[in-house]
Amino acid sequence: MAELSFEPVRVEREVETISRPSLSYWQDAWLRLKANRRALISLYIVIALLLFTVFGPFVWTVDPAAQDLDQISAPPGADRTATVVDDYVPWRGVTVELPAGGSPPAAELLAPGAVSVQGPAETRAVRLAWDPVNGAAAYRVYRNILDPEPDGALGLPIADVLDPAQVSFEDRLDLKPLTYFYSVVAMDALGNESSAYRTAQVDVTRVITAAEAVAKGLAEGGDALQPGDTLKLAAHPLGTDYLGRDLLARLMYGARVSLFIGIVAPFAFVILGIVYGSAAGFVGGRFDQLLMRFADFVVALPFLLFMILLRILFGVGAGESGIYPMMVAMVLLSWPGAARLVRGQILQIREEGYIGASRLLGAKTNYLVLRHMIPNTMGVILVTLTFAVPSAIFTEAFLSFIGMGVAPPTPSWGSMCNEGLKTMLTTPHELIAPAAFISITVLAFNLLGDGLRDALDARMRSAE
Amino acid sequence: MLAYTIKRLLQGVITVWFIATATFFGMHAVPGDPLAADKEVPPEIWANLQARYGLDKPVPEQYVIYLGNMLKGDFGISYTQQNREVNDIIAEHFKVSATLGILAIVFAAFGGILWGALTALYRNRAPDIVIVFLVILGISVPSFVFAALGQLGVVNINNALGFTLFPVAGWGTVQHMIVPSMVLGLGTMAFLTRLMRSSMLEIANSDFIRTARSKGLPATRVFRKHQLRNAILPVVTVLGPSIAAITTGGFVVEMVFAIPGLGRYFVQAVQQLDYTVIMGTTVFYGAFLVFMVILVDLVYGLIDPRVRLE
Amino acid sequence: MSALLEVADLRVEFDTYGGTVQAVRGVSFELDRGQTLAIVGESGCGKSVTVQSIMGLIPMPPGRITSGTAKLDGKDVIADKRIDGKDIRGRLVGMIFQDPMSSLNPTMTIGEQIAETLQVHRGYSHRRAIARAIELIDMTRIPEAAKRASQYPFEFSGGMLQRSMIAMSLACEPSILIADEPTTALDVTIQAQILDLMRDLQRDNGMAIILITHDLGVVARMADEVLVMYAGEVVERGSVDDVFYRSAHPYTLGLRAAMPSNRDDAAQELTPIDGSPPDLFAPPAGCGYFARCPHAMRACETEHPRAFELGEQHRARCWLHHEDCNVDAGEVFRK
Repeated sequence: MAELSFEPVRVEREVETISRPSLSYWQDAWLRLKANRRALISLYIVIALLLFTVFGPFVWTVDPAAQDLDQISAPPGADRTATVVDDYVPWRGVTVELPAGGSPPAAELLAPGAVSVQGPAETRAVRLAWDPVNGAAAYRVYRNILDPEPDGALGLPIADVLDPAQVSFEDRLDLKPLTYFYSVVAMDALGNESSAYRTAQVDVTRVITAAEAVAKGLAEGGDALQPGDTLKLAAHPLGTDYLGRDLLARLMYGARVSLFIGIVAPFAFVILGIVYGSAAGFVGGRFDQLLMRFADFVVALPFLLFMILLRILFGVGAGESGIYPMMVAMVLLSWPGAARLVRGQILQIREEGYIGASRLLGAKTNYLVLRHMIPNTMGVILVTLTFAVPSAIFTEAFLSFIGMGVAPPTPSWGSMCNEGLKTMLTTPHELIAPAAFISITVLAFNLLGDGLRDALDARMRSAE
Repeated sequence: MLAYTIKRLLQGVITVWFIATATFFGMHAVPGDPLAADKEVPPEIWANLQARYGLDKPVPEQYVIYLGNMLKGDFGISYTQQNREVNDIIAEHFKVSATLGILAIVFAAFGGILWGALTALYRNRAPDIVIVFLVILGISVPSFVFAALGQLGVVNINNALGFTLFPVAGWGTVQHMIVPSMVLGLGTMAFLTRLMRSSMLEIANSDFIRTARSKGLPATRVFRKHQLRNAILPVVTVLGPSIAAITTGGFVVEMVFAIPGLGRYFVQAVQQLDYTVIMGTTVFYGAFLVFMVILVDLVYGLIDPRVRLE
Repeated sequence: MSALLEVADLRVEFDTYGGTVQAVRGVSFELDRGQTLAIVGESGCGKSVTVQSIMGLIPMPPGRITSGTAKLDGKDVIADKRIDGKDIRGRLVGMIFQDPMSSLNPTMTIGEQIAETLQVHRGYSHRRAIARAIELIDMTRIPEAAKRASQYPFEFSGGMLQRSMIAMSLACEPSILIADEPTTALDVTIQAQILDLMRDLQRDNGMAIILITHDLGVVARMADEVLVMYAGEVVERGSVDDVFYRSAHPYTLGLRAAMPSNRDDAAQELTPIDGSPPDLFAPPAGCGYFARCPHAMRACETEHPRAFELGEQHRARCWLHHEDCNVDAGEVFRK
């Protein structure tokens, strides 16, 4: 311990050291938000969605209303080639000679001996022929996209061939490049089906004629195309809907409607709420009581009924799109939440010392409200706004879903879900794509709201 | 408590009156004729219809009659199905909706409390992370997507089993009820799980839990008697608004699963602009929700001594 | 006879977003039966963490006890809170907290909360436990004990709640009562009543008390022994007289100067201690008080002072007591 030095030293001391640079409330909030990875990613997603909505249609210039009849309900990333074929030539079918007076009724109708495909199976037509059944008065043709074995599920009856001499059928009904199972069943004179059936499995290829290809702008001149060539059809990155419309383009235009309602309506009712709530909170007393009781009643009003009334007021008929009635209904009935919150904040801030101090220094009411009260409620308001967006998007989707909001053909995410639901079992992508967009948007706004709440107000911080 | 109950009930009655009045005058403020159908109606039939629905009288008189009828519990006759009374429609279909809704809210509440408690117990470990992820998914997916996915799931389950375990649509047996009520409760369950989780974590850090531990109580007892009991309280307070959410969600689920409930009937009436049905059901639903919120508040009062003894 | 409680070289860390905080850095002390030990120091000096780690109340994670033993009747209770297979907490050691309003379960009656301890530790029936709880409430001088037992915390005043807390912590007649700032949240008039109650109960039950406070007035009134903590360390310890009249650490003197007293010299000025405690994310190599100390020396900056013995029980962790140190130490007591 000999090296210890007991020479007194003067330690430089500052009474109150300010070690960190002073940050404004918003700078500090921004730093906190940046530190929250989930919120930051959500912010990027929100920005990306806005870019997608605003600039998407300039990049992806497909008309959302144009129908691509070659590709109906095409899933995303489907094989999009078509084989060039000659022009369509009508088919007379296959007939057999029956004994005069028709074949005699048989005790039991058997299944046709064989069902065969005549010529190539193409998306424009599948030609079937089968062996005649003894005693059959007519035939019924079924089509299924699943194998009928082992359940005997034949699918949809697509045609009745009422002439027993006619043992063929040409299917031109909405064919897709899939594998189909055609089943043929014989029927007696009374129209009773035999329980026996014969199934043929048919792989259909997509075809296009040279003339069609030129008309659709897929090829320069018809001469260059030879039958048998393959051709690339129009691209649909997210597939098409049941009318052959491009889903990506529809999602972009739908986003304009959904996000417009989802963002503008909350803005409007939050502003209304701020005005109402700060008036109640600032004036106080009887006036405040009266205003808040009225707000309680408005909360209890049935939303759907007012939706309907507004649609009639706006002259929107059943089955038509009513974006504005929807927005007006949301604004008129959704403000009380924000109003209550702002009022609570104002009441609290009114009692704070710095308001009294400001008043002592001669601040006028307007100044107090604008300089102290509104800025100090901004955090709460911003958080409310962020959480209001997902609920507005949900409301739009719900209303469009039940046919009270945006109606076809106008795309919105909700109306697209409504349409997609109908074909959910066969082509789920038509439902999944708009539903995913709704979910991602709602998720991003929810997480952003969480992040903002944590960043803006330590007292409101959630325990997560 | 009694004075509080009476006060709340009185407020509820006033709110219902407000809804009924707003509904009535809202309907009458709208230009146009509710009886004007798509096709032309001969003037004498039109006059008959006007008289039948009381539309020929002056509006204030109609209002008095309307309120009087409502007090008697009479909501009038349907415009589109002219032989049916709105009361009958409500009586017949509300049973179904109420069953569905009660099952859904029970499922949501128990699920929410259970999952929320689990996440808090396994904080930042695998079960917590998985459940929190599912919860975020749950609050971000619209109810009709759940309904559609639920139905798709039913189809797949039945296909896989080779027999019909759950019917795809319809109503009647217990099997009919299971999937729709679960689908309906899912969104609310996610919301309640989230609430329960943050409530549990907040309570876990509270002073009285520290006190309980300092008394040397076994961990299970601290959890059960101190943490869980207090963490459930905020969940109970939001059950009222949750019932409203479930009611609205019920409209969609009833449509998707073809359940003959009042919600589906209401949506149909909305699409067909059947005014008496819309008005009747609206006031009925309004009153139902107002009194459910009051009921939940009163039940909360029973659980929380701080409210009970006020 | 060995001490009732012997704590040796206790070290506690907390993981935070900013890094690891060394909240307690090698604290040792003994507590004899029936004795009152006061732990004083400013906020954040580690006094609460010290007792909470003995009681197993440190949330882990983020907390971590890196070393140390706490021997209760010769048995270490740091890792395991059980002796003879039963939890020591509530049975051998009772504890009361700073804020009685939030320290009681709002949805359970006071009586139930007291009875709970007896049911768990003594195996009492519910009825017997409640009857005993009423006696305990009565013992803490709350009027109408039977009625009060069936009431909820929100129906009590702060002082009443702290009395109930005391009743609860003493239910199983523990040999140690730990009181973590028991009077800080209470009105001044109530403070004296609570302290009197604790002293009376100590006289009747013969329990030892560990009293955590930053109020030197409370220390003077209650304590036999005093532990002065600073930056996670014990900087001075000794009897009340040692610490108050023979303060051997500049920090103790600083605390005294910052405290109002009721002595006659009304003109006395309160002197705050300038600066703030060191950053416990990276504790200084030398003395923790170096940056604020009026007697700072070269050695203090780089060399960690050891505890110098000044009397039978009196110790101080300051280089001023080194035999080679000759500088003027002002009011600091030296041997």
